[in-house]
Amino acid sequence: MNSHAFAALAHIPILVFPVGPIPRAAFEKYAAEIRTFDSIRLGDIPAGMKDERARFMPNPLSSGYLYLSYPSHPPPPRHMSLSLFRPSHFTLGIIGVAACSSSYSLASALEQFENTVLDIFPEGSTFPLAKVCLAFEDEESAGSTGLGDTLPGIVSIPSVMGNKKLYIGTLLADLCSHILAELGRVYHVLESPIGNEYLNSALFPTLPSPSEMPLSLSSGNLGYPSYSSQPELESSGLAMSGIQIKRSSTAGPGISHTASLIQRQTILGPPAVRKRISAVGAVSSHGRLYKVLGDFFLLAGRTEDASLWYAEAIVLFKTGQDPVWHGSVLEGMATVFVLDAWSAGQGLQSSVSNNGIKEPWADIYDQLSQAIALYHKAPAPSEPSQDHSLLALTYCTAVMRQTSLLFCTWSTKGWGALAFASMLQPASTSYTQKTTSDNSWTNLERISIVSGVSRSQIANTVSQAHGPWLLHLGPHERLNILQSMATIYSSLGYKRKEAFILREVISCIMDLIVCGREENDLSRKSDVGSANTGNRSENGDEVSAVGKGAVGVRQNEILEGNQSILKLLVRACKVLGVDLEAVGVATATDGNSSEAGGRDSNGFAVEDLEGLADAARESFGWPELQVGVIREAIAVAEALPDPLAVARISLSALRTMHSVLASSDQYHLYQTAGRALAAMRRRGDAPAVEYWAGNPIMSLALLPLALHRLPIENPFSILTAKSSATNSLLSGIIDPFLYNPRKSSGPQSKNLIVQDEPIELTITLRNPYVFDLEIQSISLSTTGVEFESSPVSALVIPPNTLYSITIIGTAKTRGTLVFRGCIVQAPWGAPREFLLPVPTDADQNLFARRQSAVRCESGRTKYWGLDSLPWEKDGRRLSTLLPSLKNPPQFLQCVVVPEQPLLRIRWTSLTHGAVMLYNGEESTIRLTLENISALPIDFIRLSFEDSTIGPAQEALSEGELSVFETYETEYDLLHRKAFSWRNEKEITNILPNQKVVLSVTCVGKVGCAHGTVHISYSQVNRDHEEQVPVPEVFYTRQLSYPVTVTVYHMLECHDMRLMPMIDVDYDDISRRASNSAIHHLPEVDNLKEWCLFAIDVRNTYGLPFEVTFEREQAGTESAAVSSTVPPGSMSRIMLPVKKFRLSDDQISQPIPTLSDRQFVVGKSKLSIEEEQAQRELFWYREELLKIVSARWKEVIYSSLIIFVADIHWFRRTGDRHGDLSLRQQRLTLPMLKALRTDVVQIDLTLIVDNPDGSPQELDYSGGKYIASPNEMLYLRVEVANSSCSPFLKNLSHSAR
Amino acid sequence: MSHHLFLLSPSDTPIYNLTHYSTKLPQPTSSSLSSNLPTWSTSAFAGTLTALSGASSATQSHHVQGGAVRMGGGQDRHVIQMIANASLDVIEDVMRKESAMYLKSVDKFNEWTVSAFVTPGNMKFILLHETKNDDGIRSFFHDVWELYLKTMLNPFHTAHSPIRSIVFDTRVRASAKKYL
Repeated sequence: MNSHAFAALAHIPILVFPVGPIPRAAFEKYAAEIRTFDSIRLGDIPAGMKDERARFMPNPLSSGYLYLSYPSHPPPPRHMSLSLFRPSHFTLGIIGVAACSSSYSLASALEQFENTVLDIFPEGSTFPLAKVCLAFEDEESAGSTGLGDTLPGIVSIPSVMGNKKLYIGTLLADLCSHILAELGRVYHVLESPIGNEYLNSALFPTLPSPSEMPLSLSSGNLGYPSYSSQPELESSGLAMSGIQIKRSSTAGPGISHTASLIQRQTILGPPAVRKRISAVGAVSSHGRLYKVLGDFFLLAGRTEDASLWYAEAIVLFKTGQDPVWHGSVLEGMATVFVLDAWSAGQGLQSSVSNNGIKEPWADIYDQLSQAIALYHKAPAPSEPSQDHSLLALTYCTAVMRQTSLLFCTWSTKGWGALAFASMLQPASTSYTQKTTSDNSWTNLERISIVSGVSRSQIANTVSQAHGPWLLHLGPHERLNILQSMATIYSSLGYKRKEAFILREVISCIMDLIVCGREENDLSRKSDVGSANTGNRSENGDEVSAVGKGAVGVRQNEILEGNQSILKLLVRACKVLGVDLEAVGVATATDGNSSEAGGRDSNGFAVEDLEGLADAARESFGWPELQVGVIREAIAVAEALPDPLAVARISLSALRTMHSVLASSDQYHLYQTAGRALAAMRRRGDAPAVEYWAGNPIMSLALLPLALHRLPIENPFSILTAKSSATNSLLSGIIDPFLYNPRKSSGPQSKNLIVQDEPIELTITLRNPYVFDLEIQSISLSTTGVEFESSPVSALVIPPNTLYSITIIGTAKTRGTLVFRGCIVQAPWGAPREFLLPVPTDADQNLFARRQSAVRCESGRTKYWGLDSLPWEKDGRRLSTLLPSLKNPPQFLQCVVVPEQPLLRIRWTSLTHGAVMLYNGEESTIRLTLENISALPIDFIRLSFEDSTIGPAQEALSEGELSVFETYETEYDLLHRKAFSWRNEKEITNILPNQKVVLSVTCVGKVGCAHGTVHISYSQVNRDHEEQVPVPEVFYTRQLSYPVTVTVYHMLECHDMRLMPMIDVDYDDISRRASNSAIHHLPEVDNLKEWCLFAIDVRNTYGLPFEVTFEREQAGTESAAVSSTVPPGSMSRIMLPVKKFRLSDDQISQPIPTLSDRQFVVGKSKLSIEEEQAQRELFWYREELLKIVSARWKEVIYSSLIIFVADIHWFRRTGDRHGDLSLRQQRLTLPMLKALRTDVVQIDLTLIVDNPDGSPQELDYSGGKYIASPNEMLYLRVEVANSSCSPFLKNLSHSAR
Repeated sequence: MSHHLFLLSPSDTPIYNLTHYSTKLPQPTSSSLSSNLPTWSTSAFAGTLTALSGASSATQSHHVQGGAVRMGGGQDRHVIQMIANASLDVIEDVMRKESAMYLKSVDKFNEWTVSAFVTPGNMKFILLHETKNDDGIRSFFHDVWELYLKTMLNPFHTAHSPIRSIVFDTRVRASAKKYL
């Protein structure tokens, strides 16, 4: 900003630079002391000269000021042509600062000072006008430096001097006096006719060098005196001595011109000048001369004189064709106006009231506008020369001056003393920064209203400086202008415009860097001095310093410069909505990264969840611009070169903008990042980029263990309790509630894994990009017990897909294992942990709410423009809307159980696991088990299930069955199991690598299609864990062997009858039954005590079967009846059964339930009698079924071999046999009567008296008694009581 | 002479843009300052600066000088977008203070004048133009507004999604031909 101070035209620039070996800190200190003098009172200027040099000397009692500025570097030599047009652009004075010590004498300091001056300012240049070298004495070497020697051109300041500042002020005043004197000399040259011709010779003329004056005077050559065309070698000695004499304070008059007629007069009237000039007889207009005079007076602090001469010049320029000089006059007048206002208002601190119609600064503004317009319209110089560049510079400076007027007024809240101060000495007032530091819109707008200058007005003014003409400028000026523009836009809060300008700034710097690298040897020389004095102001001035540093010193890697450029980039990109720092630089080393991960794990988790919600958010910004700016940023970073930044920028862009990037761009960015990272790897840098590719982990799941490996938790109590298979089998679905809330709210089912056995986890990864995403490694992040897994490395995820990988790991000790998530590492990046919480219901609820809140927001625009930048908006809006996750996240958790033995089925007796049975047939399945672990098995238990159990249990649990049916079903479940293990005690121990054989009995049961044998086993007694308190649970493993069962239903029993023997028509029976029961009848001694059991057996199968019914009854011999039932036919089997009678106690018992079911409610609404009858039926049937059993046997006929193709089948069926169930049969009341022994047996016999008097039974044949008529018969009644209790009966009879 | 129209959503995302080349000839108003530009550097970064400062279009129109200055539609287009984006600063500033929807010549940058139209829904229509055509631009903006409203009546169209309707495009073009 320094170079664009509004009042720069009135500043005397003085260059301060170090001389000799002076420490930087010391130099800075002394230079700062010098720089505190930003103005010098005219009264302090020593005036003592009498000749033409006295022209610009102040009046003895004048009250004005000289304004000093301290640029950090001299203007480049190219600007030399401006020397007369704009003297304030040049360093009029030079101060060398040397530190003298015993080893560094004054003389050597002076010599070096002179050499440096010659280096910086080529001989022949007009400036500097005065110079002085200040030699500060070190504290240590006080008195030893020979300060006594007084050398011309160097002033030594002893360290013992008390008030250095005062002395420096005096010295500065002295220097200024010399400068003013030299200005007088210069003007003296110009006002001569030849000088005036020189002045008018070109657009930007230069002062003829003293040595050239007579020459050009004599030859009349008025050509353009370029210093570069001067023969340097020949004239160097002469010029040097001349200059030196001229500048040194002690020299006498060195120039041959006679003293001017014009003495130093206070009232130097224009008429006199005009007269004088006309007397000389010059042909050129004097407008430029007057303008120069005005400029010099302005520099000398004599504003009245300056405005006088400016007014003169204006008059001449009005008609003339010299717009550039005209414009310059206007600029000068504007400066004079402000200076006057400053001196008038200084100390009053009161704003000039702006109650007029126009703003007070409007006149100045108009003047400057006029000047700008004049510059703008200036005719282009005919030949392409420096003039283009200088004209553009003049134009831009004028625009900046106008801007400065507005900006200073605006930032100091109005036209007043503060505004003047900041216009005069912008560096001295930090007020601007203070007012504009609060960048909120309200504050800025408040300033606008207070000051009466609107921000858009300032912006429009400053934008005039921006145009193609910037290309005319030299690099440093261009940077300077652009940087000032950026600063102003930034202060105004116009961030986008600032970003626009910053892009240009960056391009400028980068161009310099790139070009400077090619010719770095050449350009470094010109940078002497500025390297040390590069000062930084607060806002944005770093740019110029960076530019210089990067051009000049490239050998030593000063990272500061590069970082500053990157900072600018980031700033510019942020405005466009691109966050170049989205991917962080990994700073943590391995040691504390884990700590960090543990500390803010919740934060990560929340972030992850938010990341999911991001998808619903709308994008911000202008995608095309964003892509462009990213490309440029990468180009910049590549040119620096800063591979880390390249990688960061490209990866950040990929991360944040992959939705708007074209696929080619994505691919390109990925490639670029890869290249940059590879370059870093070559250079041996540590991996430095955080993981970038969003959240790649979609899910983490524990693959369930294979069933035979899965441990099952059991309480220890089941070992001690007697096995109650009954319960488990019959209970079935015991939960009486349809919806049991306690069931679901119970602890989550634990994942059990076994120590030292591998488990598998699937990780689903996502690649949202269009290229193959490469991942260097993925490993699991676990807490809890030690878990050993090998990370998956060198993984490539295809574009736009989900991708699953499996990680195998082993838990090393028992305990609890928690899978927090995954640690993902991109190639050459830092690993990053991604947490995968298992969301609870509340979490999911919350997440859904967040998502809907985001989605609800997405269509609305509460904030717009830069306020709607994603990172700004979320902080304000969503944070208040969205509920935050409170609970710590839950993770996938596993219980590691101790090592378990492992069993396998080595061999079975079944082929293909299938068994084919006839109904009721019994078969044995042999399973050979082998313990393939190193642990012994001391607990083994078998359980079975088959397809009949389920339906039966269901029927039971529904409770719709009658008591009788319930009993039948339960009986079926308990006593007729399809599978059973008879000899349970046979195997108790299986040692490692031992084989044992299990025999499982399988019974054919109709309806059974398949079954399973479950073998539960475990090692219960562990000796080596005695010290541990006895655990409450132990773990078993289960081996299951499924069996496919085919049961052929071949024999059906029908129509069971029980008949009293007495009524049987035996002829009929013998006809119906082939193998009748007749031959059993002989044992039936007393027909009344027997009844006949008859049943039809039907063969529905294709083979004949022999059916045997057996009777096992107490008190009788056992008997059996066999019959062969041919296929498709039915046989009736008859078997006499002796009647029996059950005691009353027995039959009055209720029908039992075989299970311990509690809620058996008698559904039947039977009366007591009916119930009694049912119970009686039930108990008699039970008894009958105990007595009579049926078996079947396969009958093999030789002819059958023809039909039976399956030899194998045939061979095995040789002795196939089985039981035939009679439980389907029902007992009815008549049958019961036949079966039950009557309580009273009455036997009636007709007896006739024999002739001999003995009674004789009457003849009985054919069921009839044949009595002869008229014979007396006796009726013998035998009554037998077959019950257990005596009873009385009446006997009455009647005959018909 | 060309006009550039951008419809910007509240989040600064363009949902429609149009470049209209008018048949009217631009009056040469360029300054001598921008003539005779030097080819000061050949590095790529110089090209960026050249483009951003508006120099490439200047050289294009005056004297085309070889490939020293990188130019082309893409680069220029980028610059125009940058200008349109940068002008949002002034537009936002002005629209907070003034209730008018039509912001006439609200900003100037390089050779471009920026006029804007702010709908009540905070959509910003930005037109970059070189010459003064106040009434025409006003009418054009009102036409575009009406067309935009008709598009927004579509219940499936959200405020942030780009307008891809061909009908909209044709009508805007017709209006541009008529007024600009």
